Amino acid sequence: MAEDVKPTRKNLMAIEDRIELSERGHDTLEQKRDGLIMEFMDILDQAQDVRSQLNQDYETAQSKINMARAMEGDVAVRGAAAALKEHPEITTQSKNIMGVVVPQIESSRVKKSLDQRGYGLLGSSARIDEAADAYEELLESIILAAEVETAMKKMLEEIETTKRRVNALEFKLLPDLYENKEYIEQKLEEQEREEIFRLKKIKAKKEEEEKAAREEEGPETTPPETVPADD
Amino acid sequence: MSQEIAVVGSPDFTTGFRLAGVRKFENVPDEEKDEQLDEAVSRTLEDDDVGIIVMYDGDLDLLSRQVRQSVETSIEPTLVTLGGGAGAGGLRDQIKRAIGIDLMDEDED
Repeated sequence: MAEDVKPTRKNLMAIEDRIELSERGHDTLEQKRDGLIMEFMDILDQAQDVRSQLNQDYETAQSKINMARAMEGDVAVRGAAAALKEHPEITTQSKNIMGVVVPQIESSRVKKSLDQRGYGLLGSSARIDEAADAYEELLESIILAAEVETAMKKMLEEIETTKRRVNALEFKLLPDLYENKEYIEQKLEEQEREEIFRLKKIKAKKEEEEKAAREEEGPETTPPETVPADD
Repeated sequence: MSQEIAVVGSPDFTTGFRLAGVRKFENVPDEEKDEQLDEAVSRTLEDDDVGIIVMYDGDLDLLSRQVRQSVETSIEPTLVTLGGGAGAGGLRDQIKRAIGIDLMDEDED
């Protein structure tokens, strides 16, 4: 990786800019992740309550319908079930938690009075009514659970992507950038040392040449000095 | 947009919900679950009018891996399973993966 970049001062500056930006992004994402996890913990407590309520309601509803089946017969229960005219409906709205859009589910016509049910008062017994009541309650818990659990799923997805981004920055991008930066810095230092060495070499060579030139000139110019004085 | 609740499971499981007015349901008899449950769940998933799918937790094990994954991760419609403990329906695994700790460990609570 490090060998892919050209060791120039321009690249070094660009990498330093990228490091700064990535570190800032990393900090921000880390804060986002921590915030999301805190929000998630709140929802988790809620979800556990909703879950236990749901399981309780399910057991009650099951025992009620089993009772109705035992006393009235399966056919009567099925007949009543097939006669229902009002149907529960749900409408979904959305809410924003730290950039995660979570649903808010509202329901209508879950709870029905006896005359709204449509299977008639005479044709059915109290046990079927009780079972229907229990299942209506169960439906309400289910709707609540659906809302909370969808919110949890969405938050979890967001936490996962944020975590992945934080990790990618921390363990891949930033180390690579630092490695590149160090590589360029070392290359540039190396180039500088080479440059100094070359200059020293050139200087030494020049000095040598000058010395040689002087020495060459020396014997020609010195004789006049050594001309013996005429006595 | 108003949506409905759908129930998928054995006739015994769905009858109670029909008593509460649930109109969309897929009856799959126990002995045919291996072959037909996948198809019933996929059909319900594709239905735009369905906002919540209710299933029995044990039935999830009978689904093929692909259908199970798509129904567990589906957000619209959302799956709610009954009869399982806390964190049923793949939620527990997802928490373990995303947070790194099993937050739904009941022994700790």
